[in-house]
Amino acid sequence: MPKFYGYAGNILRIDLTKNQVKVQPTEESLIKEFLGGRGFNSKRLYKEVAKGVDPLSPQNRLMFATGPLVGTAFPLGSRFNVSAKSPLTGILGDSNAGGHFSAEMKFAGYDQIIIQGKSRKPVYIFIEDQEIQMKDAEHLVGKDVYETTEMIRKDVGERMVQVATIGPAAENHVLFAGVFANLARPAARTGIGTVMASKNMKALALKGTGTVKIADPKKFWKLVEEIDEEAYVHPQYWPRRIMGTTRILMLAEKLGILPTRHFTSATFEHAAKVSGERLAREYNVKSRACFSCVVPCSRFYVIRDGEYAGLYGEGPEYEALSGFTARVGNSNLNVALKAVDLANRLGLDAITTAEGIAWAMELYATGDLTKKETGGLELKWGNGEAMLALIEKIAYREGFGDLLADGVRRAAEKLGKGREIALHVKGLEIIQADPRGLKGYGLGYAVASRGADHLRSEPFIELSDEPGRGLEMFGVPEATLRLAQKGKGKLVRYFENWCAIIDSLEVCKNLAENMELLPFSRAAEITEVTTGFHFTRELMFEIGERIINLESAYLVREGIRRKDDYLPARFLQVPLPNGNSKGAIFEIEPMLNEYYTEREWGLRTGTPKAEKLREIGLGYVVEDLKRNGAARVS
Amino acid sequence: MKRILVDVDRCSGCRLCEMVCSFSHENSFGTSISRINVIKEDGFGFDLPIVCWHCDPCKAMEKCPEEAIERRDGGLISVDEKKCVGCGECLAACTIGVIKLHPERKTPLICDQCGGKPLCVEKCPTKALTYTETEMQEPKVPNQVLEETLRRWRIIA
Repeated sequence: MPKFYGYAGNILRIDLTKNQVKVQPTEESLIKEFLGGRGFNSKRLYKEVAKGVDPLSPQNRLMFATGPLVGTAFPLGSRFNVSAKSPLTGILGDSNAGGHFSAEMKFAGYDQIIIQGKSRKPVYIFIEDQEIQMKDAEHLVGKDVYETTEMIRKDVGERMVQVATIGPAAENHVLFAGVFANLARPAARTGIGTVMASKNMKALALKGTGTVKIADPKKFWKLVEEIDEEAYVHPQYWPRRIMGTTRILMLAEKLGILPTRHFTSATFEHAAKVSGERLAREYNVKSRACFSCVVPCSRFYVIRDGEYAGLYGEGPEYEALSGFTARVGNSNLNVALKAVDLANRLGLDAITTAEGIAWAMELYATGDLTKKETGGLELKWGNGEAMLALIEKIAYREGFGDLLADGVRRAAEKLGKGREIALHVKGLEIIQADPRGLKGYGLGYAVASRGADHLRSEPFIELSDEPGRGLEMFGVPEATLRLAQKGKGKLVRYFENWCAIIDSLEVCKNLAENMELLPFSRAAEITEVTTGFHFTRELMFEIGERIINLESAYLVREGIRRKDDYLPARFLQVPLPNGNSKGAIFEIEPMLNEYYTEREWGLRTGTPKAEKLREIGLGYVVEDLKRNGAARVS
Repeated sequence: MKRILVDVDRCSGCRLCEMVCSFSHENSFGTSISRINVIKEDGFGFDLPIVCWHCDPCKAMEKCPEEAIERRDGGLISVDEKKCVGCGECLAACTIGVIKLHPERKTPLICDQCGGKPLCVEKCPTKALTYTETEMQEPKVPNQVLEETLRRWRIIA
């Protein structure tokens, strides 16, 4: 078996219909063109999941992938991607999580695990190095994420087994169910958990005794020590260690971009009561970290007094916290923690869940939704009890919850109301930051390959509001001013390419990107000394470019065009009513034009041009798009 | 003698100690070849590195049928790999269950304190590990540490 430095060297394919397992060597060309992780998954999705495949059919692929830096002392390498065609959006589905699953997958010996077909009976897959078992999961059906994880640990007699599982929401075919590792580490966007459920599969559990070798240990350690030192003295080190991403809530409040009551306000009068600062002061008992990480930014909390006293768990992170507080107008932190706990146990995407509830609450507030239609739920802003009840109803598709279980786009279509306030792009619900006050982020939501999402680009640098950086990086001072629109095409293209390699190396975006510990040049350096393959800053940038273009081509093949790269009307037509971004509005056309121009894509169609695709080694995509009649490529 | 001590409230469970240990001793990264190991209970947010306490007397040494486990000058326990037959008697004998066999060599992996400058202590991101002069006392089994910790955090009464 050929073995690589950094990589495990094997790709595992499991066919649940045929009950067959196949192991193939990881191809060197795949490594050089796509690095790993998200790059591997997107490449395979394009190749193996043809146009028009039903996401919930056995033809869909469910893919787990890790990266070359994972399972080492490199402090950022703990992530994994889970990808499939999304049942929620009908386009590329993909989600990423940290914790300890990814390293174990590497130690078990696999760079990528592909699951296809559909099992006749409920199963979970248990991998112990070369031994792969489809184990009976009849007793796990209906069990929540926490129960399932515990039962599998008991089943296999091994406490340290890593489990990625779905909860009841996925089994009930809620279209935005996630895959959860380490209980509270969700890869939950785009409904990949629902894809797992459609294969009659409950979990992927693994344990490995393998090891990872490094091509140039001396240079590897030197780089790791450099990065460790930079992390320890970084101004974000302590805020992250104390609050993790929950620190963002008060920052968003101060900037006037905190989505409040379904984006009808950009500031929340109770923000301090539900902040990361308050969690740190009154709830947190210790810090936890992902594999090998020197910045332990996860927290374990215990509710000591009041409602739900005695509840404990890991987290929360900003998106879920903000979603179950400001977005729905809830000022009760204990209720929010209960909501996050529920969403995790039931296996729901907290962002999409919060949008569904907030959307319904807005309709309720305007009188467009009645108590009769909600099945008796009083969906007033901030009604915590109603929110908790609704989360359960969504997961079990009961009553009004059934409507929301298909995501906000379909819910609005079915209800025949609230279409213009269903806040999504391409069917994926918008995250907790108001794009009117963050133009680069907003453009990122509009063009991201998995629908409205910040993690495809996360151009955090515009939060600095320092024109010097924009001038230095893009020759446009406005590029790094959050309320300016000029230069955002350049900004988003650059950050999209960066995020694509970060996701493919499977390193943490908080450290690699936000803390700027892994710029392109250093990503090239560490990957080269780890793997022994030659990488440069330019090659890394090109790999990012290749991944973005291939993902875009996948969307084009499914019928996505410029008309789909839009933000909901609220952001384009209604100025922000209050806060420090008051009056801001999102003018999308000039920003899209700049973005497509920077990408060398067609302006009219918003799709990659044939010439561009050929230039970055995607000639086969041009031919394929032509065959599929999707060519607006010239 | 000096021992590696753990502050369980500080441990983030990152397992970096296992990574630096495995690489410095075995020249590759892996939790299966590390001499220090972190026990985790995600449900309770509990992380506990366990590493040889170099007990005196050492139960594993007493049980070893080949007399392959010996005490060196300075009190450290070590394994004579030539004598060891990989029977695994020491695994069950060890008070805190810290011993495991190398997956290929099948000989026990026991902490050597890196010759007096333990790398895991040096690299621990939260200073949960310290290298401290400590009198011999019966080490606590992991379950006992878990119980005490959860009581302190008021998760159990």
